[in-house]
Amino acid sequence: MSAATRLSRVAATGIAALALAGCATFRVDSYLDRGADFMRYRTYAWAERGAFETGDPRLDNNRFFSQRVEEAVDLQLTARGFEKASRGDADLLIRIHARVDQRLESAALDRIDGHCIDNDCRSLVYDTGTLLVDMTDRRTNRLAWRGWAEGSLDGVIDDQRWMEIVIDEAVARILARVPRNHS
Amino acid sequence: MRPHIYRATLIAVAALTLAGCATLRVSSHTDRGLVWSKYKTFDWGPADPLPASDPRLEKDPDFHDRVAGAIEKAMATHGFEMSARSEEPDLLIHYHANITARLDTDRNRYQDGTLVVDIVDAASNVLLWRGWAQGDIEGALRNSGRMRRRIDEGVGRMFETLPERR
Repeated sequence: MSAATRLSRVAATGIAALALAGCATFRVDSYLDRGADFMRYRTYAWAERGAFETGDPRLDNNRFFSQRVEEAVDLQLTARGFEKASRGDADLLIRIHARVDQRLESAALDRIDGHCIDNDCRSLVYDTGTLLVDMTDRRTNRLAWRGWAEGSLDGVIDDQRWMEIVIDEAVARILARVPRNHS
Repeated sequence: MRPHIYRATLIAVAALTLAGCATLRVSSHTDRGLVWSKYKTFDWGPADPLPASDPRLEKDPDFHDRVAGAIEKAMATHGFEMSARSEEPDLLIHYHANITARLDTDRNRYQDGTLVVDIVDAASNVLLWRGWAQGDIEGALRNSGRMRRRIDEGVGRMFETLPERR
């Protein structure tokens, strides 16, 4: 193995490690219903919560997870001028979904020329989490807006404080994409 | 030649040893404001519809006894008492076990077992602490002695993360 190859490999490993380290590496996106007019939306309420199934037994019906998400959403919506109302009166109903999956990703260097460097075909296997926030127009019962964040969760759930930081940041970045409701 | 054979044997032994006791990952979530000294007695919560959701665990008659025994022992170590039959317990305990096929970093499939233990406030039904142990139980599924050691290790280490009851 040449020195240059070794160096580029070290660099690639370093970058991969950074990318997996968490925090700043969510992919965040959202969907806005064409008919939704956010200028009319002022109040929100939590929709009735069903069973909180995530695909990860550590998080299923885990209030340390679900309450933190709800608190973070409350905080962000309040900061954006939304007011909490009763379920029967609110303009918007909020629902949360969370999902944990195991992902398989080929090491970055494998793709350059289609060969595995030094026959090292090891792949990156890691847990990825998706957090999804739905806003439904209570009157029409139509989905008005959906935002989500997806990112690596390796080691995150096993560390309560780290999990809370990741939740807060994911929720903040998701809800930063909510259209302005009023000035 | 000799040293080679010796070395190969050593490596093989080391590999076997490591495979046999691949460490379980344990951790927990807890209510940070919690005052554990308020709580003294515990009992088993109403049985989950599916305490162990995998038929491979359900068919093992020892499994539930061993898990329950390990948890009761760990609770006693922390100063909690099993409530007398006539008394209302302060805490209720539930557990849940499941098995998922996962890939390790070399893309080998293995059977990943998770044991989740919940400690709930009996009066309010609020979750106070959740602990878990996770790891490869491929070998343990075929060997009840190994399964018992896995359960004891997992429960024992998981409860080391339970806050002190002062």
